[in-house]
Amino acid sequence: MKSNHRIFGRALRQSSVLLVAALVPALLAAVLQPRRPAWSRAQAEAPEVSWPEVAGWSGPVLYVDARPPEAFARRHIPGALSLPESQWEALLPGVIRTWQPGCRVVVYCDNQACGASQSVAVRLRRELGIDQVFVLQGGWNAWREAQPH
Amino acid sequence: MARSPATLIAGAVRLAVAAVFVAAGALKAHDPAAFATAVDHYHLLPYPAAAALALYLPWLEMMCGAGVLWARLRLGALNLLLGLCGMFAVALASAWWRRLDIACGCFGAGAGSRPALLLDLVRTLALAAACAVLLGRELRVGAPPDAAGG
Repeated sequence: MKSNHRIFGRALRQSSVLLVAALVPALLAAVLQPRRPAWSRAQAEAPEVSWPEVAGWSGPVLYVDARPPEAFARRHIPGALSLPESQWEALLPGVIRTWQPGCRVVVYCDNQACGASQSVAVRLRRELGIDQVFVLQGGWNAWREAQPH
Repeated sequence: MARSPATLIAGAVRLAVAAVFVAAGALKAHDPAAFATAVDHYHLLPYPAAAALALYLPWLEMMCGAGVLWARLRLGALNLLLGLCGMFAVALASAWWRRLDIACGCFGAGAGSRPALLLDLVRTLALAAACAVLLGRELRVGAPPDAAGG
């Protein structure tokens, strides 16, 4: 019984040491790490736009498909470029070549439950410094449903 | 002095567990903004909490990974890693259950999908099992007084 108490106490002390020790570099990272996260979603994520909004835009729009390559190969928004995160390095140069200053970028994945479009949009904003990057609300499904049958 | 096969196996498992957690922590600590986005995609926490977790969790994983290799911190490190694995497993299972099509975020930014979440869950449960076995052995064999003054 006494031994159990000792082991429990030792585990608790060691855990506390580790929990506190991890706090120090985490606090430093919060201040010094160049890739530290923003504290609000609005700052951290790309804004979402609905398909009717995008359809009403004047000016060039570049569609970026964040779905897996097989899904892109089956069907995609006409003119869209494939850029899944799994092939980021290989396909990013194609997006850079196609994008022109002033051109808005709309990224989509399958539907509202997928996170790929937001991840790709955030990386485009951060790594290429493009401000006008948006995520299509409802993704591919929303676009497909909006098309005349 | 010859070591028993059980001791050698336990040493190898400890090394593997430590390597996985140190690597996973380092990859996430390299880009906490991307990890915060990955955590946010689980829709389990408000965004500021996801951002705070993204800054803290990678370092905790690295500390615990390293702690597994140090006898004076091993008991605490294994307890925490077991808890972390349980937390990751619940998050992954809930994402899969809610049909979220997201990346695990377990090793930093990267592509992911709903089917891959199941594999991530299996890997997490295997890690939890390894931690549990090591913890059981630690409790049986005993450990030296800890580095925290015990």
